[in-house]
Amino acid sequence: MKHLVRSQGFGAVIGVAVMLAVFTLVDFSGWWTVPTVSNVTQFASILAFVTMGEALVIMTKEIDLSVGSVYGLAGVSFITLEPPLGVPGSLLVALLIAALAGLGQGIAVVKGQLPSMIVTLGGLFIARGIIYVWTGGSVHNFSPDARAHPLTRVLGGELFGVEAAIFWIVAIAALLGLMLWATPFGNRLLATGGGRESAESRGVRTERVKIVTFVLCSLLAGFAGILTLCNQPQTHVTLGENMELEAISAAVIGGCLLTGGRGSILGAILGALIVVSFRYELIALGAPSSWYITFVGVVLIAAVIFNQSLARRLGHSV
Amino acid sequence: MTNDHPLIQVKNLDLYFGAFHALRNVSVDFHAGELVGLVGDNGAGKTTLIRVLCGIHAPTSGEVFFDGRRAEKFHPKLAIDQGIETIQQSVGLCDNLSIARNFYLGREPVKRILGIPFLDFALMREKSARVIRQFGLRDNVSTDDEVERLSGGERQSVKIGRAVEFKNRVVIMDEPTNHLSVREREHVNELAVQLKEQGLLVIYITHDIFQVHKLADRIVIMENGSKVADASTDAMTAEELEEVIRQGGRVVEKRETA
Repeated sequence: MKHLVRSQGFGAVIGVAVMLAVFTLVDFSGWWTVPTVSNVTQFASILAFVTMGEALVIMTKEIDLSVGSVYGLAGVSFITLEPPLGVPGSLLVALLIAALAGLGQGIAVVKGQLPSMIVTLGGLFIARGIIYVWTGGSVHNFSPDARAHPLTRVLGGELFGVEAAIFWIVAIAALLGLMLWATPFGNRLLATGGGRESAESRGVRTERVKIVTFVLCSLLAGFAGILTLCNQPQTHVTLGENMELEAISAAVIGGCLLTGGRGSILGAILGALIVVSFRYELIALGAPSSWYITFVGVVLIAAVIFNQSLARRLGHSV
Repeated sequence: MTNDHPLIQVKNLDLYFGAFHALRNVSVDFHAGELVGLVGDNGAGKTTLIRVLCGIHAPTSGEVFFDGRRAEKFHPKLAIDQGIETIQQSVGLCDNLSIARNFYLGREPVKRILGIPFLDFALMREKSARVIRQFGLRDNVSTDDEVERLSGGERQSVKIGRAVEFKNRVVIMDEPTNHLSVREREHVNELAVQLKEQGLLVIYITHDIFQVHKLADRIVIMENGSKVADASTDAMTAEELEEVIRQGGRVVEKRETA
């Protein structure tokens, strides 16, 4: 318990509990239905992939604004390259494109000593522009064969009535959590964000750590795009638009501090769950969908206030 | 180990930062089992010299020999691998990590499971706990506590303990007692002497000639990027050395040219 309180995910655990309690009181019959729970967890899983990557980048004291565009670009690549390459081929190429986007931005940030906010803002526009040019604004679909491909089913189908994305998030979150908490790389990642100079004085190659983290973040965003399209194999030029803002909000709601070095994988997932639940429930309650953005803003600020006071209470300097 | 063969030998070192001449033809020897006070005003070049030794800056010209071997490349990791540890006031510990994690940062012990390297938490806790007790941390501090909880003196103790634990041969202490209470200062100075007695080379950087004169075997004074004095503490009193600093090194220059 002490460990949980000290971990950065604790605020999000409370947040989820409060949110579920409120939704239960306000809209018991609408919220606790199979379609609602299934949809919310499906969308939350997708956002959680992007958020986990974003959270890792924030833990190194950088930020990645390009995740929404990389998500879209990987998804578009996956669908458009399927006819010539087949499903496995286009999957690999789409992930490769995502990885290259992360690598390029990571190298620019580290070697160019540039602020990541600017570099990845550039990345956001570049990747989005490529999507527009590549698709020509038109909608692309998977053929019936591609939809029936085993790989498409494994990534986008269901098992015992549960969406595949949920199995994937559980498995990959467990791996990332172990990586962050129990490996030398995780230790160095947190050290890079918590005290770059100190880490370097211990021989940690912080530049390499940051580049690897940017690549990991883009890969996760790309994978999320692919998961979405395996489930709903239809692209649109706006695929993933504004997702970077949701992902950053979710990471912060999940307890990531922008001052670096603090955050958790569990918090990232719960943060994504909170953001998606609000979106879904507000629409379900009949609020105009435009209000959703406003609510995310309110939740974000409330979460930051809560998480910071929690961190101060634990004696962290924030 | 004979003492006539220096552990670190610096020969005719020059370093420019652009047009700024930061180190001017510096030559100095350091021996194992010696505590050397490196003294000088701000901007005298002490820290720059140390940064060459610990691999942060590469010299523009000149040579550095470590244990008789000429250093070809300069990188912090290489210096650490050779057993050169620098203890700086503000750098060296990450506040957001536990004592155990800080202790092993950059060279974490691992247990491989299916070929994947996982941190060996048991070893990290056990070894770092033994060292922090030995170096006088409060009993209620656990190795799982974040470094943020520690006082300034305790932080220095963790760094010094770490230097000893990793069997370093050189410990460079850069203003190790700044911002410390009187008692903590004494404790850190005792540790410096203890390291020397264990056969390590200790280079102690400070402004305070009187403090280091009591501890050191030898004092090296720098001024404007040059070495202006290099004397054993038996040969010159702290007052004489202070006069050298006050005169900007001119006293010694006179003596040498005379």
